[in-house]
Amino acid sequence: MFKYVLRRLVYIVVVFLIGSVLIFSLYKSVPGDPARLMIEGNKANMKPAEYEALYRDAVKKLGLDKPLVVQYFTWLFNTLRGDFGYSLTYKMPVRQMIGVPMKNTIMLNVWSLLPVFAITIPLGIATAVRRNTRFDSTVQVITIIGYSLPFFVIALLFIFLFAVKLPIFPISGVQTPGLRGTPGRMFLDKLYHMALPLLVMVFTSLGGLTRYVRATMIEALSMDYIRTARAKGLTEKVVIYSHAFRNALIPFITIMTGWFISIFSGSVVIERTFLWNGMGKVIIDALNQQDFAVSLAMVMFYLVLSLVGNLLMDLSYGLADPRVKLN
Amino acid sequence: MAKKPLGSTFTDVLKTFFLGRQRATLSILEEEQVQSPYRTMLRNFREKWSAMLGVYMFLAIFLAVFILPIFFPLDTQFQDPTQQNTRPTFSYMKYDKALQGNVASIDGGSVFGVGVDRDGKLYQWGTLSAKLQKMPPADKRYVQASAGLDHAVALDADGKVYTWGNDRFTLNMIPPELSSRKVKQVIAGHQISIALTEGGEIYVWGNSNLISIPVPKDKQGTFTKVVANTTLAAAITGNNELVILSSRETPFSYIPSEIQGRVRDVDLTERSAAAVTTDGRIYVWGGDDYGVMDIPAHAQGRAIAVSAGRGHFVALLDDGSVVAWGRNNYKQTNVPKLKNIVSIQSSYYQNYAVDKNGRIHTWGLKGYLMGTDQYGRDLFVRLLTGGRVTLTIGALAVIISAIIGIIIGSFSGYYGGKTDMFLMRLAEVVNAIPFLPLAMILSAIIGSRISETGRISMIMVILGLLNWPSLARLVRGQILAAREQEFVTAAKAMGITEMKIIFKHILPNVITVVLVNLTLSFALSMLYESSLSYLGFGVNEPNATWGNMLYGCNDSTVMSLYWWRWVFPAIALSLCTVSINMAGDGMRDAIDPKSIGR
Repeated sequence: MFKYVLRRLVYIVVVFLIGSVLIFSLYKSVPGDPARLMIEGNKANMKPAEYEALYRDAVKKLGLDKPLVVQYFTWLFNTLRGDFGYSLTYKMPVRQMIGVPMKNTIMLNVWSLLPVFAITIPLGIATAVRRNTRFDSTVQVITIIGYSLPFFVIALLFIFLFAVKLPIFPISGVQTPGLRGTPGRMFLDKLYHMALPLLVMVFTSLGGLTRYVRATMIEALSMDYIRTARAKGLTEKVVIYSHAFRNALIPFITIMTGWFISIFSGSVVIERTFLWNGMGKVIIDALNQQDFAVSLAMVMFYLVLSLVGNLLMDLSYGLADPRVKLN
Repeated sequence: MAKKPLGSTFTDVLKTFFLGRQRATLSILEEEQVQSPYRTMLRNFREKWSAMLGVYMFLAIFLAVFILPIFFPLDTQFQDPTQQNTRPTFSYMKYDKALQGNVASIDGGSVFGVGVDRDGKLYQWGTLSAKLQKMPPADKRYVQASAGLDHAVALDADGKVYTWGNDRFTLNMIPPELSSRKVKQVIAGHQISIALTEGGEIYVWGNSNLISIPVPKDKQGTFTKVVANTTLAAAITGNNELVILSSRETPFSYIPSEIQGRVRDVDLTERSAAAVTTDGRIYVWGGDDYGVMDIPAHAQGRAIAVSAGRGHFVALLDDGSVVAWGRNNYKQTNVPKLKNIVSIQSSYYQNYAVDKNGRIHTWGLKGYLMGTDQYGRDLFVRLLTGGRVTLTIGALAVIISAIIGIIIGSFSGYYGGKTDMFLMRLAEVVNAIPFLPLAMILSAIIGSRISETGRISMIMVILGLLNWPSLARLVRGQILAAREQEFVTAAKAMGITEMKIIFKHILPNVITVVLVNLTLSFALSMLYESSLSYLGFGVNEPNATWGNMLYGCNDSTVMSLYWWRWVFPAIALSLCTVSINMAGDGMRDAIDPKSIGR
């Protein structure tokens, strides 16, 4: 076990290094001179010589005068230390700037978990048990439609229904502009703004997850131990929920890893549509404003996140299923 | 060997699928025979109604977006602000029945029309804004009416002027001088109104910031007719001289000198002017585009009147027939067979001709099936061409990812060891980073250096390059299972090269699973493409895709007032991905022997 974890950690380092080289070369191939962008605003009210001096300072500060290899290692060590660079649009370090969006994204995603699981797991089990009935095929078709519809179409539809036709929820935003009040009041206002994106998020996750639960349940129900359990005369309830469902949960771990990553990454489409100030919107804004330091820092962040997530997934497989041997 | 039963090969399956079941007469032994795997798959597939529905839906969409654009070609550069955000309708020339056979004056506006019958009653039709619906009092006796961009002007028998519709830019403030004068002609133009009095004076009111129409002091009082387009006006004086009313030097100012003093009629398109002289000749000058200079030869010397739309001219000949030439994007120059016409009136893309019995004949733009967008472009045409682009990008992205995925997956699965290790780590890295943000970053970095059309191929490549890991993993798993089987050992023993073993012996055995996966990832690619375009990082204007037609639609004005701008692309995209997924899902169940549940 210990040896396995160690080996996986070595893998992670290797993959991380490959990824970081790729990302760094992407960063370097971005058109434009970051040093000039950094001092852009000062050109008008400066003498050419002063401007040149400032430019040289900026180049030195950003380390652009050193060879690429040195630049790469400086960048890598900075990133590892948690220094993700400097945001040109926000005029502050990326690490500092990312705090609020991260909190918003996590809030939105964590809140969506509960309703998603509360709906998909019972529905998936029900369709698996009543397999090939009319109920099952109806749900199957509905879920296909559910996961085939583009997120933004669902989002537009929900905005149209619940913000335009029936003005229950605000169309977009995180907070009513200019609202000041007690923390409780602010929190309620945020929840109110979160309702519609949350609804869309839950709705978009239903289709895929229901089908996944159904597939794993069908797999589990076809096992010999289910036949044994039934032969023993156990009630169907016990067979399904105690014998089959627990075993069906094992492949679920894969899905959980995906959730673990998406909690931090946020949906680009939903956050853009609802102007929800989260990680997804930060990426879009950064790209629109040529602030590549931010977006590449976030890609690095995702890379680490998913590598760690993969490791956790494999480890939890070993813990959940005694048949799985880690080596 | 006996004749192969039908449906035993993959080609047979495709044939049966698309051409319908060809029943071969089978003996009882053959009937009861074990079916070939392909045949079983086909039967399973056809039994699932949702899968068949998906196939038919997708085929319908596919045929529509690949065949219909031949008949409805898209001009990507075309824009027309006068047609922006108009709702789906075909009523632009659906004049009131009461006007038929009884018309006194008729005129078309941007998306509506106005008319007056011989009893002095005023009518209007087409897409009418709330302000346009407030018509002037019905108890007056009207003699002439004119429609503009979003307002209209009418004239009654006493020479009094009425205006309704858009009331900004002082359009509702009829000059006080007109109250003491008798007006004989009114024009509603592009946010501007013009009145010509019996005394030959021209008065202009409306948005003078946009268009300034100066009337020369020395000519005031001599005019007999006035016409206008969106930038200037032209007027004919009592001694048949033509005057361009503009404060700037424009191509319109270069009036052919030989026509001065002989001008009988004149009208203006956006970039050119046409005049008819007293001897029936037609002269066109100004910008030479859309073939406005190609005056039909038989019309020369016989014209008595001319009228112009946004980019085309219509002329009335002395035998009562009508010819048209110039821009033909909305069939506005396809004149039906007409005779005994006494007056013509063309404006924007509509044409009205009135014969001597007062009957109205129309041709040109009736309206838009799906409305127009914020640049006045026909959404239906964009939807068709956009669908073609979306489907093509999806298909080519899948092909690229299939090639990469199959090659990497095959090598990885067959060779194992270090190759496997390296390739799978690579797949892990690509797969590790969330798809949309990575695609957006690549698109932003590469996209800034290439043209808009180059972006289409770029998006295909990006989607293809990022989409292969799942397929590679699938192929690898399948090959891992297949490579230990006897036929591979046999092939190896026969000394067949490894390449041949992989691609000719193993791959055909796993191809069904791959095909199902490709179908599903085709839908996924389309979703990714449209999401990228929706976010503004995919294919951009002026090229159309289903995704970028929805760009900027998450705005309450668009959502509620211009619903057609998002409803139609959203429906098209959704139907397409749903149908592909239904078909793909049916295929997956069909090839899975366990799915029948026996």
